[in-house]
Amino acid sequence: MGRAAALAIVAWLALVLAAPAGLEAQTKDDTVVYALQSDINSWDPPNSVLREAIILGYNVFDHLAARDIKTGKVGPSLAVSWKALNDTTWEVKLRKGVKFHDGTPFTARDVKASFDRVLNPENKLVARGNHAKIKSVEVVDESTVHFQTDGPYPLFVERMTALVIQSENQMRQKGHEWMQEHPVGTGPYRLVKWDKKQEHLLSRNDEYWGPKPAFKYVRVRIIPETATQIAELISGGVDIIKAVPPDQMDVINKSGQARTGTSPILRTAILQLDQAGRGGPNPFTDRRVRQAVNLAVDADAVIKHVLNGLGDRVATAVNPMAFGFDPSVKPYKQDIARAKKLLADAGYPNGIDFRFRTGLEVVEPAVLQTDDALAADMVKAGFRPQLNYIGDQTVYTAQVKDGKAGPMFNWSWGYYSIFDADAILYDVFKCGESWSYYCNKDLDDLIAAGRSTLDQKKRTEIYAKAQRLLFEDAAYVFKWGLRGVWGISNRVNYEAPRDEIDRMWLVTPRKK
Amino acid sequence: MKAVGAGGEVAIKGVGDFSPEPTAARASLRRLWRLKWGMAAAALMLLIVASAVLAPWLAPYDPLAVDIQHRLAPPVWMDGGTPKHLLGTDQVGRDLLARMIYGGRVSLIVGVTAVLISATIGVLTGLTAGYFGPRVDWLIMALVNVMLSFPFVLLALAVIAVLGPSLLNMIIVLAVADWPLYVRVIRAETLAMRERDFVTAGRALGMSHARIVFRQIFPNLVSVIVVIATLQVARVIILESFLSFLGLGVQPPTPAWGNMLGEGRVYMLNSWWIAAFPGLAIFVTTLAINLMGNALRDWLDPHMKL
Amino acid sequence: MRRYLARQLVQLVVVIVGISMLAFAILHVIGDPVLLLLPQNAGKAEYERYHKLLGLDKPIYVQYWKFASRAIQGDFGKSWYTDTPAFRLVLQRMAPTIYLTLAGLVMALLIALPLGIVAALKRHSFVDNLCTMIAVAGQAMPIFWLGIMLIIIFAVRLKALPASGYGTWQHFLMPAFTLGAFLAPLTMRLVRSGVIEIMNMEYIKTARAKGLGEWMVVVKHAFRNACIPVITVLGLQFGQLLGGAIITETVFAWPGVATLTVESIRNQDFPVVQCAVVLLALIIVSVNFLVDMIVGLIDPRIRVGA
Repeated sequence: MGRAAALAIVAWLALVLAAPAGLEAQTKDDTVVYALQSDINSWDPPNSVLREAIILGYNVFDHLAARDIKTGKVGPSLAVSWKALNDTTWEVKLRKGVKFHDGTPFTARDVKASFDRVLNPENKLVARGNHAKIKSVEVVDESTVHFQTDGPYPLFVERMTALVIQSENQMRQKGHEWMQEHPVGTGPYRLVKWDKKQEHLLSRNDEYWGPKPAFKYVRVRIIPETATQIAELISGGVDIIKAVPPDQMDVINKSGQARTGTSPILRTAILQLDQAGRGGPNPFTDRRVRQAVNLAVDADAVIKHVLNGLGDRVATAVNPMAFGFDPSVKPYKQDIARAKKLLADAGYPNGIDFRFRTGLEVVEPAVLQTDDALAADMVKAGFRPQLNYIGDQTVYTAQVKDGKAGPMFNWSWGYYSIFDADAILYDVFKCGESWSYYCNKDLDDLIAAGRSTLDQKKRTEIYAKAQRLLFEDAAYVFKWGLRGVWGISNRVNYEAPRDEIDRMWLVTPRKK
Repeated sequence: MKAVGAGGEVAIKGVGDFSPEPTAARASLRRLWRLKWGMAAAALMLLIVASAVLAPWLAPYDPLAVDIQHRLAPPVWMDGGTPKHLLGTDQVGRDLLARMIYGGRVSLIVGVTAVLISATIGVLTGLTAGYFGPRVDWLIMALVNVMLSFPFVLLALAVIAVLGPSLLNMIIVLAVADWPLYVRVIRAETLAMRERDFVTAGRALGMSHARIVFRQIFPNLVSVIVVIATLQVARVIILESFLSFLGLGVQPPTPAWGNMLGEGRVYMLNSWWIAAFPGLAIFVTTLAINLMGNALRDWLDPHMKL
Repeated sequence: MRRYLARQLVQLVVVIVGISMLAFAILHVIGDPVLLLLPQNAGKAEYERYHKLLGLDKPIYVQYWKFASRAIQGDFGKSWYTDTPAFRLVLQRMAPTIYLTLAGLVMALLIALPLGIVAALKRHSFVDNLCTMIAVAGQAMPIFWLGIMLIIIFAVRLKALPASGYGTWQHFLMPAFTLGAFLAPLTMRLVRSGVIEIMNMEYIKTARAKGLGEWMVVVKHAFRNACIPVITVLGLQFGQLLGGAIITETVFAWPGVATLTVESIRNQDFPVVQCAVVLLALIIVSVNFLVDMIVGLIDPRIRVGA
């Protein structure tokens, strides 16, 4: 037995030492380490629903236009200028002298190929819906492109930041499956290695046309457990983490190794109510009941005590940073007496029992705590919510799309990073859309009107009307705009980005 | 110097712990004294069970009472603690002591029920496998191996996904996952016993199979079964906490030690008490059960191979 | 002997087939993956098309036959989530889990062997119960709790080890210890009983009578023969390890197959789950088979179906 044991130990040691040594080629000083909770399924951003795929895509690809994170305005990137030739045609002029990572030059043909690929229904790419308003793309010359749209398309400029430009060469020669693991872009970094579900290694593109990244390498590590991420941050193993729960901020700030950075982000949280009756008849089809529940909750207190102030109360689901936000509509204030009365008027003097679905902490940190608090408020007005927690993102999302999530469920919307009211109104409030549980013809008319004119002043008025409508009809329970919290190592300088896109090329080492 | 002790042990003086035992009375007293750890553990278990049963009277607050103004309050002996919440509060202000007491109910109910079910199934299966000959044995062992090799987690996820997470479904899952463990031991013992004289005699007399199994073989196995079952309660409690941790067990806000742990895991770096106390509760309970099991084994049959 | 081997092999095949069938059936009952794969604005026609594309419109036994016939050749299809071959994905992640499991088992032995031997030598004493307490502590302490505590102590406070990840031998220490602590109690118990049993056997007494030192006796004879129950239980544990591995891999960001399986179940990525379950089962069953063979060789009484 002694011999067997010795043999076993030797075998184990051999295995351990033979195990891969990891990506130690680069040194610590020229590498910035970024942590994600789960790995992306593909390096082909139009083919992924995951936010992380979009974020990582930003580092390897470029878009036609890019948001200036200081001003929030959309500015030039691969496109240097654009104008609307008429109501349905946009002309875009492209940057010259840009090369893909494999050395081939970037031209208008790549733009056409990228858009054509997404728009082609045969390809079944998930991003198609976002760009469906574009009818066709024409190459005018090497650096000019014309976009024909299906009617006026006021979101065109914003949406130019939403599609990565991929190499037409690669599409033709290598095909779809190869592109899932081998991104070829024009961006500040290129992908060197991908250990699935473990880590990615990016290295600097020294021929990048834009600002040169300070760090030569980026290591993207997949760390599923929040507590581990924080431990890694404060022990120096990771430089940037995101979605830090508000309650853990003091751990990071007191550690002396790292600090937190916050920023209001576009993501807005709501409790959706099944007004449209997608899941069958329910009390929330009655406006009085919806108003009652809005009056029952004290969202301000929840922001103050549970989120430690990290939330921006909104009157409807339109975020203050989005175009079309109307500050004159003031949010509901808690009024338990009035809530009880409304409930009685609606025919429920003894209150209502119903299911309150919640989950998805990965998208909205602290959501369980806030929903627990809101549910406790509802009880004061006679509601009896039964919290039903679903930890699984895929299951939760599937139920929502399927109409089965009602009568009340927690939801938040990231606007696809489009800073425009339409980006939430259409998907989350328009009658019949898969994410929408609300049906109101007047609102649908306003949405359609807002989409069909390029006149920004007119659109502002339209959206102001829409918000007033949503508020008075108490379409859903309106909560707040989220604030993103990042953990940043004291080794680096980094600003929390308001569009939740972590741009690794902007990270710089901190001088000692 | 050799002596035969009351337990049938052959003792040699001066080696190890084998001291000679002169009289029978003193021997019994000694046995009881040796079981002191077990008795202490049993007393502790009684306390735990009592507190679970008497929860509505013992708990200082409603375990579901949310109070966000006083969330994340530390235990009374720490900076910022208040005597109003002896063990502190959780992330929405619910009193931890109350939740711990109520949480014990879930763990104990699940533990005992699941073990009763799985022990019954497991013992019957083991007896069948050991008694009825090679073909049946082979078939049953194949099934048992399938069950043992099948990842428990996948089974749990599947069952709960279909039936929905609830107390009852969790008990079912745990019982189903647990019964194969009895089979090997029971089967081995049954096989050994099948060839013994009293069994062959019984067969010669024309006793039915059922009678032989239940009147002659089974009583000899009772001690083993009792000991295994006791130890399995501890294991099932741990598995229950594991499932609740994964979100498959009792759903929040209903308190269960497992889901309290799961909720508290992010808070381990600062508000550590949210996860620490349920964890401590699980530890103390399983420790007590294990010590009790040890004592039972020693009392029923000191030669038992456990 | 040959017949015994043959029978066991047949059982192995039966078990594997049984597991794959079970996994297949469960997956198809859990839910509808088509809903998750389609982009949000897909209509009913798209849904039907995808359904056909994935072969989900055929009766279930046809689907199973297609799956099984391909699986034998190593073709488990492409992952529906990442569009890459499932077999390659699972194989990539299998190695880290196997290493972790082996490391965990070694750790468990390192903890359980000394504790078990000491407990056996000082039977029924305080030390015996102390060893039980230590062993139980390792299991009752929730794995992630232990894991996070280790990370806090060794990575954050002492900065002696990397907090998480996979790569060097330092990355192995904490996860292996965490997993090993989970396995230690049962192993210790078995070592203890094995040693006790040996201690009483005739040839040990002869050796003692000959005047050999206590330690010599233990090391030479008891050790070698206590292996049987230990090997048996290690084989058993291998199957149960998946549960512990899931949490360990999550906490330590270990790129293993346990977390892959759970994720794929959640994503309803059928090809990957089937591949992972079948491969894991293959390994577990083979280990159990080996164990049964070795034990059957040593003690013919407990050969299955003999």
